[in-house]
Amino acid sequence: MSSLVNKGELKQRNGQIASYLIIGAVVIAVMMVFGILMLLAQGGMLNLSAANFYQFLTIHGTGMIGAAAFAAAGVMWYFLRDYVQLSKKIFTWNLVLFLIGVVMVIIGVFSFEYASSWTFLYPLPALSANAWGTVGALLYLVGMLVLGVGFLLLYIDTGRAIIKKYGSLGKGLGWDVISGKKAEKDAPPPTVVASTMVTIVNVTALTAGATVLIMNIINVVNPAFTFDPLLAKNLTYAFGHIFANSIIYMGVIVVYEILPRYTNRPWKSNRIFLIAWTMSTTFTLLIYTHHMLMDSVMPKWMLIMGQALSYANGLPVLVITAYGALMIVYKSGIKWDMASGLAFISMFGWTVGVVPAIVDATIVVNHVMHNTKWVPGHFHMYMGLGAVAMLFAFMYYLAKVDSNLETTILDKIALIVYTLAIISVSGQFLVSGAISTPRRWATHFPEWMGPALFGGIAGVFMFLATVIFIVHFISYIQVRGTSTGSDFDDKKVA
Amino acid sequence: MIKKWRSNSLLSGLILFGVLLIPFIRQFLESVMVLHMLVQLPLLVLVGWLIGITITRNFQSHFDSWNSNGIPGTLLFVMITMYWMIPRTLDEALSIWYIELFKYVSLPVIGLLLYDSWKKLQSIGKSFIYLNYLSMFGLMAWLYIDSPIQICNNYLAAEQKILGWGLLGITAFMVLYLVQAVFTDQTEEAI
Repeated sequence: MSSLVNKGELKQRNGQIASYLIIGAVVIAVMMVFGILMLLAQGGMLNLSAANFYQFLTIHGTGMIGAAAFAAAGVMWYFLRDYVQLSKKIFTWNLVLFLIGVVMVIIGVFSFEYASSWTFLYPLPALSANAWGTVGALLYLVGMLVLGVGFLLLYIDTGRAIIKKYGSLGKGLGWDVISGKKAEKDAPPPTVVASTMVTIVNVTALTAGATVLIMNIINVVNPAFTFDPLLAKNLTYAFGHIFANSIIYMGVIVVYEILPRYTNRPWKSNRIFLIAWTMSTTFTLLIYTHHMLMDSVMPKWMLIMGQALSYANGLPVLVITAYGALMIVYKSGIKWDMASGLAFISMFGWTVGVVPAIVDATIVVNHVMHNTKWVPGHFHMYMGLGAVAMLFAFMYYLAKVDSNLETTILDKIALIVYTLAIISVSGQFLVSGAISTPRRWATHFPEWMGPALFGGIAGVFMFLATVIFIVHFISYIQVRGTSTGSDFDDKKVA
Repeated sequence: MIKKWRSNSLLSGLILFGVLLIPFIRQFLESVMVLHMLVQLPLLVLVGWLIGITITRNFQSHFDSWNSNGIPGTLLFVMITMYWMIPRTLDEALSIWYIELFKYVSLPVIGLLLYDSWKKLQSIGKSFIYLNYLSMFGLMAWLYIDSPIQICNNYLAAEQKILGWGLLGITAFMVLYLVQAVFTDQTEEAI
């Protein structure tokens, strides 16, 4: 479809996409620096005050989730626009609101020393023991609200466009195919299915998030207004877990779109695929309760549901996608390059990264492991080698199809270094968890320092590899639109 | 036919406004917190909506000159309704005459603006406003149900909770409406 689009218009549209990706990638790289500093401090190599550590922790979490979600939204938008009519104006508005929100968050954290971690768990924003004041908390919370408004507009637009083309969000998930009313050959493409899922879960998450953010704002302005902390925690994780989880579901569109182009084999939505995505839509909305397994006052059925559905959620889409990726590549004669390599590695990251989460979602294990570094071990692998690798894959793909820029040996070395480094970073977190190192602690006992120091050093290599990815993408931006050949996308990658 | 319907709506709006001004009705609605916020206030907005059907048609060019895309009118609507969701404003409407007067003026005016703006808003704007109110009603429900203190001087803490449950009911209804709207087939409709 892209080949049918006017090339001048394509260049302009790709400019917006490139803005999303470069902002996302640069923020991710800067956040890596904060991660490295924290690990070096925990490893006893760097003298960082506790206040600074928690500010870094806050900006690291917020920045990583925000930037990855932002870039992933750009990826989703890039491919989804081939199937439905999306609003460019809304896409631009999201970018503007994202930048405004980011600036507010940065000022709140660094100028006003706000440091509640990215989860802003009630009543912490208002009860800081004078570590930060009202202004810092308000800047952070309102900044997050502004970010949320941008994303909400974006997902309203994707939902509108999908409903307009396919009739309903149910049809976007292929329910009419599942029920047998429509043939499999008429099923919505994987990109539409994934985008529908993300639209449903993120509109829910952002609505819950807006509620709990405004509640926190009211509490910060007037602490006499107090709220039920358990409900606040439920809403906070209904927002935070779902929103963070959705990043990989946006990122996986890269796998669905580019591997078929590289292998000249279609990735079609069959009934099993559609059922798996519907299951993941439902489970993703419900499994945030696995963040509450230590809250003994939660209704027991919710905790059991959190464990059971967390097991179930890890499987449908992941198995279908990982198996599909293997099958599409098997004996295809694929010519590996940076984009296809990163996309394939991301499947490994997703698959391996989900395992510690499933382990931690087991109630009896959770009571021991959840407050240890085991959990960062999960999400660094899952996000770093899964979701973020998908984003980097897309950056190389876009550079390839939209310019004549060639990759060098340095890029290939960076891919290997990045993979080994993120495995090392995640591995040290898992080892730390296994030796009962608590997470979110600024200071470590000497017995806990070794893995942290190792992680900090591995992080430096990961950062350097990321810089090489970014340099390649910046080089592409300077020459974008120089691709020759009439068939813009497909022939060039095959 | 349409002309008759429009004049009927103007008349209906004025009659409804007159009914809401009757001292007995006014005092009754304001004596119970849930009736004050969830009946009287929406009815005053409805007054403006009904009157707006005629007014906006007769002064269409005036409205178009400053509210061509519906966003300014919607922003005013959001700001005024947010103001009236603050518990203190309900209290002050009972205690201070000019706040009560403001209520009887501002809510019909924004009802009128809502009528003019809603048809001009694009579907994205409508959806955004809808979701905004969904989370706002949810939040207010939570605030009124969960507040450990008596928020208004004129209403008991028990009344706050009833209002909170009322708001929660509205939130639940809005969620159900949203779910049916996005999961039922709308192929034939212009979205």
